[in-house]
Amino acid sequence: MTTAEFGTHNWGMVVDVDKCIGCNACVIACQAENNIPINTQDRVERARSISWIRVERYWEGDFPDAKARFIPIMCQHCENAPCEPVCPVYATYHNSEGLNVQVYNRCVGTRYCANGCPYIVRFFNYWEPVWPESLRNHLNPDVTVRSRGIMEKCSFCVHRIRRESRNARSAGVEIADGAVQTACSSACPTSALNFGNFNDPDSKVSKMKDDKRHYTLLDQFGTDPNVIYLAKIDADKKISAGEAATHG
Amino acid sequence: MKLNRREFLALTGKTAVGAVIFAACGLPERELIVQSPVDLPEDLVRGEDAWYATSMGDFSNGDGVLVRVMEGRAKKIEGNPDHPITRGKATARYDAVLQLLYHPDRISSPQLRYSKAGNLSNISWDQAEALFTEALNDANGALTVVTNPLRGHLGSVASKFAAQYNGKHMAFDPVEQGVLHGAVKSVLGQDQLPTFDISNAQTVLSFGADWLGTWGSPTQFGVKYGEFREQHDRGYMIHAEPRMSLTAAAADLWLAPVPGTEGHLALGIASVIIDAGLVSASNVAAFEAAIPGGVSNVSLSDVAARTGVDAERITKAAKHFAEHTPSVAFGGGSAGAHTNGSFNLGAIYALNILVGAVDSKGGVTSNPGSAIDDIPATATGASFEAWEQEIANWRAGNVETVIIRGADIVHGMPNSVAIREALGNVPNVIAFGAIHDDTMDFADLILPEETFLESWGTEIPEPGPGYQVVGTQQPVVGPTISRDESGLTSDARGFGDTLLAMSDGSYGRDMESLVRGALSDLHSTGRGSVSASTSSLFTNGALQRGGWWDTNNNGSSSVGKIATSAQSANYSETGSLGEGNDFHLVPFLSNSLLDGRLAAAPWAQQTPDPISSASWSTWGEINSIQADELGIKEGDVLLIRSTSGEIEVLAYPHPGVRPGVIGIPMGQGHLRSGRYAEERGSNVLSILVDEKDSQTGALAWAATRVRIQRAGKRVKVPKFEGDVVARPVEPGVPVLVVGIGETASDVQTANHHLYQEQFLGEGKESGDHE
Repeated sequence: MTTAEFGTHNWGMVVDVDKCIGCNACVIACQAENNIPINTQDRVERARSISWIRVERYWEGDFPDAKARFIPIMCQHCENAPCEPVCPVYATYHNSEGLNVQVYNRCVGTRYCANGCPYIVRFFNYWEPVWPESLRNHLNPDVTVRSRGIMEKCSFCVHRIRRESRNARSAGVEIADGAVQTACSSACPTSALNFGNFNDPDSKVSKMKDDKRHYTLLDQFGTDPNVIYLAKIDADKKISAGEAATHG
Repeated sequence: MKLNRREFLALTGKTAVGAVIFAACGLPERELIVQSPVDLPEDLVRGEDAWYATSMGDFSNGDGVLVRVMEGRAKKIEGNPDHPITRGKATARYDAVLQLLYHPDRISSPQLRYSKAGNLSNISWDQAEALFTEALNDANGALTVVTNPLRGHLGSVASKFAAQYNGKHMAFDPVEQGVLHGAVKSVLGQDQLPTFDISNAQTVLSFGADWLGTWGSPTQFGVKYGEFREQHDRGYMIHAEPRMSLTAAAADLWLAPVPGTEGHLALGIASVIIDAGLVSASNVAAFEAAIPGGVSNVSLSDVAARTGVDAERITKAAKHFAEHTPSVAFGGGSAGAHTNGSFNLGAIYALNILVGAVDSKGGVTSNPGSAIDDIPATATGASFEAWEQEIANWRAGNVETVIIRGADIVHGMPNSVAIREALGNVPNVIAFGAIHDDTMDFADLILPEETFLESWGTEIPEPGPGYQVVGTQQPVVGPTISRDESGLTSDARGFGDTLLAMSDGSYGRDMESLVRGALSDLHSTGRGSVSASTSSLFTNGALQRGGWWDTNNNGSSSVGKIATSAQSANYSETGSLGEGNDFHLVPFLSNSLLDGRLAAAPWAQQTPDPISSASWSTWGEINSIQADELGIKEGDVLLIRSTSGEIEVLAYPHPGVRPGVIGIPMGQGHLRSGRYAEERGSNVLSILVDEKDSQTGALAWAATRVRIQRAGKRVKVPKFEGDVVARPVEPGVPVLVVGIGETASDVQTANHHLYQEQFLGEGKESGDHE
């Protein structure tokens, strides 16, 4: 048995778009876990809502052949993250476990990182977060409530990773595959969201990311995300492989 | 006996390690907590969390969950990985319930209205109990206890309490399931809803039921859907519904029939299968025995004309269903909410007989009865016809006392029954609840009720997993003390406990003792998922686990015949409704608010609808091409008029709706329900007409025709769509889609070449112009 050490993990997520039904269970689980302020009607209408994970819906075709396609999008925790070098105060950096980390008390709110992020997954707190006094009872004490003027985004539920790391270290064991689940992956009823250690070749996510349907968002930007997507399957789609070959 | 965790661990260690044995997988460490958090010092240790297993009460059909508690406060609700229904997974609704527990507008103490038109005044529980007793005595048998459909011990207590006072217990469900239960009973001979082996089916054919979103047991079905898609050939899913729901969006083939023609569509599918000889003669004989008249008079062209689904699509669905087996067919929701609802659902469920799917792997399997005597394993609302009679009695002054709990009947009943006037004629209206709702405006006595996170109970999931399950519900937090420590935020009591305190004691002292007694009875059966040397250990084990189940106790079907009932749907008239265009109204349960029972929770309000992405409002979904023809733009305020009333909604055109249909979500339009829900949106239930299923008398809630008219103003739809610019995988390709066996790389290459061709082609045209 070995003790879990930092640096032995490369945390990442595999999103099987074919299983995503667009139910938003992940969105609310994230909201509750990470003390995200209530997205009031006013904030929604002003496009100022904060949602560390969102489910985008796209239409294809017209009635009766219309199809709704869903894709969950969160911080991609890029290895070459465009948000990191632009931060003047090192509030965002890449750690040794594959996480793109946001240090709230360093952030001075320049919003350069949000401008640099091609995935639009960073959110600025335009207002001080407010909950009625009684609703503060459900706030998660593991997660900082962010104040007005700073950036926030998906942390891959780093507090859950830390908790499991501590538990594993004190027990003198390695973190088992599946022991760390982000709030979103834990909630996802269809297991479209899968979280784990890419450094472990036997982990579920390592096996999934080799699926022939794998791709990354905005691959052309070279951001090298730690979120891998598996393409949606359309059983009635004509195969384009032959066409691709002729073009190639 | 109450045990805290330390005592429990010590006890199990001293007596016999493993004296409590759980079937199946090991017990996760985080569940090693027995109930009674109020007394647990662990809850008050900073930084240490405790996880309690319980059931979701009124907000699911028996989902087992784990609640994370820190320092005596509930922080998170997740699926219970051990529970056979949830298997560790969740819906978008679980966490929202936390906001009902800690809602700033929770009713703080009993309240009395001294006269029907008077204001409410806070009173003590002693005074409230005295008034309650007086109302029961005054009733002298003219008593009605109104609840939501209840299974488990709470349902049993409500019924026995009503019987003790010679009254009646009636359940109310605005989207009543009586038609569904009737069809299942007549075709499959089952009292409980069956389970669907989606995980092992090759083809799933569903009608009307948004089973991945709101219908039946969405968490159970969601987990099964994930397994369905993990199969070697991924499975094939066909869904028929006039409006694209979350479930229709997940389907490989979406059929959008004219509302009310789902039964004919099912028979059309059957006729294609039979004509093509795709199933055995014995199956055909069994199917025809179940369908009065068989399908000899059904022609594909007639079905296509009647349903509005072209023959090619019907044929494709039929062949998939018969050729890629095991297959399973089921339906519900709007498919059963017509005047011919019983026929529709009967024909749909009979398809299982045709492909030999009854009681078989990958098909439809039955659920056994309750594992506990006298405890209902199934529940459905009383029929609308019965409600009309009951409300007529109220209006006539024949009922002295009405006790209401878990059913916002003023919000949920159509205008046509004039529920407000009827309640005004009942001398004693007693309402239980956590947050003031529309019905409480007519209550004389309001009693603050504990949420399911604060009270005891049992829950029998419906549909179950195919074997006996008894889920346990226990208080995971104690009463909440206000942050300024001035007192309790709500001096609430459990509904069951309050009734039992008013009872003669013959059916229980309190809910906790009932639950413990039932678990003790289960222990004596010597079977199931928990084995223990003593009843006490067994009880603690079941509570830790979130319940008890016996995978060896299954049910069986008894194939019957669908009852003869009207086959053609009737719709309400619109002739007298003034200017506008006629549409079929298809109401649907909101993915986050359901019928409105979660409207008070801001997380539920803010959750984007999966299809429209709208929140905080009521919108109307109409076909985008038809909207263009009618000059309707997104955000146009539409007047929706039926013979029962008028509401306003915001237009949201999209391509996933059948032309001639308007889909409107339920859940909004409350006059009360706390600061986040009051006077927000419109209540589509209010304008439903009083059409009924011809056989069961259930409200045909999808049989209303409406006339729509632009109100002449346009506002912004509060929606998530458009908040962020789409970030395409390739230009014009926001979501990468592959065919079976195709790689992402292949498709990306093909898309890239296609884009280049289009781009170069456009450049050439541009050059030509120059």
